[in-house]
Amino acid sequence: MNPSDPDASRFRSTSTDGRGERDLDDLLIYVARGDQAAFEAVYDRLAGPVYGVVRRVLRDPSQSEEVAQEVLLEVWRTAARFDPAMGGAATWVMTIAHRRAIDGVRASTAAAEREQRNAEINIPRDEVAEAVEASLDRERVRRCLDGLTEIQRESITLAYYGGYSYRQVADLLKVTLGAIKTRIRDGLIRMRDCLGVS
Amino acid sequence: MRLLRQDMHALTGAYALDAIDRAAERERFTRHVNGCSSCASEVRGFREVATAMAFAAALEPPPAMRAEVLAAVARTRQVPPEVRTHARPRRSRAWVPWLSGAVAAAGIVIAVLFGFAQAHTQHELNTARAQDQSLAAIQARTVRELDQARNQDQLLAAIMAAPHVRVLSQRSASGGAAVVLLASVRHQLIVATSGLPRLPAGKVYQLWLIGPVKVVSAGLLPAQVSGQTAPVVASDVTHGDRLGLTVEPAPGTRQPTTTPIIDLPV
Repeated sequence: MNPSDPDASRFRSTSTDGRGERDLDDLLIYVARGDQAAFEAVYDRLAGPVYGVVRRVLRDPSQSEEVAQEVLLEVWRTAARFDPAMGGAATWVMTIAHRRAIDGVRASTAAAEREQRNAEINIPRDEVAEAVEASLDRERVRRCLDGLTEIQRESITLAYYGGYSYRQVADLLKVTLGAIKTRIRDGLIRMRDCLGVS
Repeated sequence: MRLLRQDMHALTGAYALDAIDRAAERERFTRHVNGCSSCASEVRGFREVATAMAFAAALEPPPAMRAEVLAAVARTRQVPPEVRTHARPRRSRAWVPWLSGAVAAAGIVIAVLFGFAQAHTQHELNTARAQDQSLAAIQARTVRELDQARNQDQLLAAIMAAPHVRVLSQRSASGGAAVVLLASVRHQLIVATSGLPRLPAGKVYQLWLIGPVKVVSAGLLPAQVSGQTAPVVASDVTHGDRLGLTVEPAPGTRQPTTTPIIDLPV
């Protein structure tokens, strides 16, 4: 498998939306067979979101880079375990990425450091502007988040981008555990409908 | 404490966002989802929402990252697909839980660990392997004559004498097994192996402490003597680490380049 395979162009994305789920699922099947050119195409599509979400959770650039590398290598290593019946390829990869980032947070003993971040719980809008693609996703997600109640939006962004557990979110927002579980779930249901996720 | 089903169901959101930090609670919910198709489909939908949020957070990765990942890919073996069978569930490790310092001090010895010094047990071990005994049997066989071994080495003696020493073992898919004595309070462990495949020239067995963020080399296994390797001590073991063993080009590498043949949570 030659990484500079001239035939690699066959894997270039032809899809116009940011994610091209169908293509990615196919690419991963090739990756599972050891096709490095297919992996390069997967990398080019997913390295930005992987690095972005890990960085959002961990904040530290060098730790984020390290974790993002681990995630992408994990995708290569375990591509054969990807099961399209359980969701699309992008979702599979982002689930791995977020989980690894969370593992990094929970392993970190620098709890005090994290406390300082409590102040900056909302998504900094200018940071979003650094994004790779001025993607449809960014606008859609922003619009859908804006459609939530404040407590739904805060609990979802704290949990997903902030890497907090629902217990910590409940504590930060001064609501009960039962209430926070419901807010997160209700918020995600609204997001799902707003984003048009099937 | 039992959760009402309704309560349980409300966790789908937190679960999909990896926001359940207590392992027991997460595992319980995973089991629940496996038996609840409406929960599973809700979690799937929420994960797609999360995916959109990840794409919305996309950032240009550092430029050097691409070449580094592709280089790592070129030297990393992939795991095979999981072929599902109806065979009994595989148990990858056996435990002698919480072998206390007192028991250890009572004179239990790890004969496999110290096989290099215990040539007279070699015949027995070969017999054991030939009969393909259970991992528990191999492990039990290794747990012997501790006093002699600890007399030979102060560090080993100190580790073995620590409170709450645990003995773990794992059979390698490529043959052989590793036995680990874990002294959590000292953040140290002792590894020895038995019956690992002989390596071609220019290859070594390398140990790793695999943390959630970093993978750190824990040294090379010494050359095999009669199919066994002398004990290796690893320090700075932290909770949540896994002990990995890989085959690497001599004289070892900075990061693992192959799939571990032993991967044991410690």
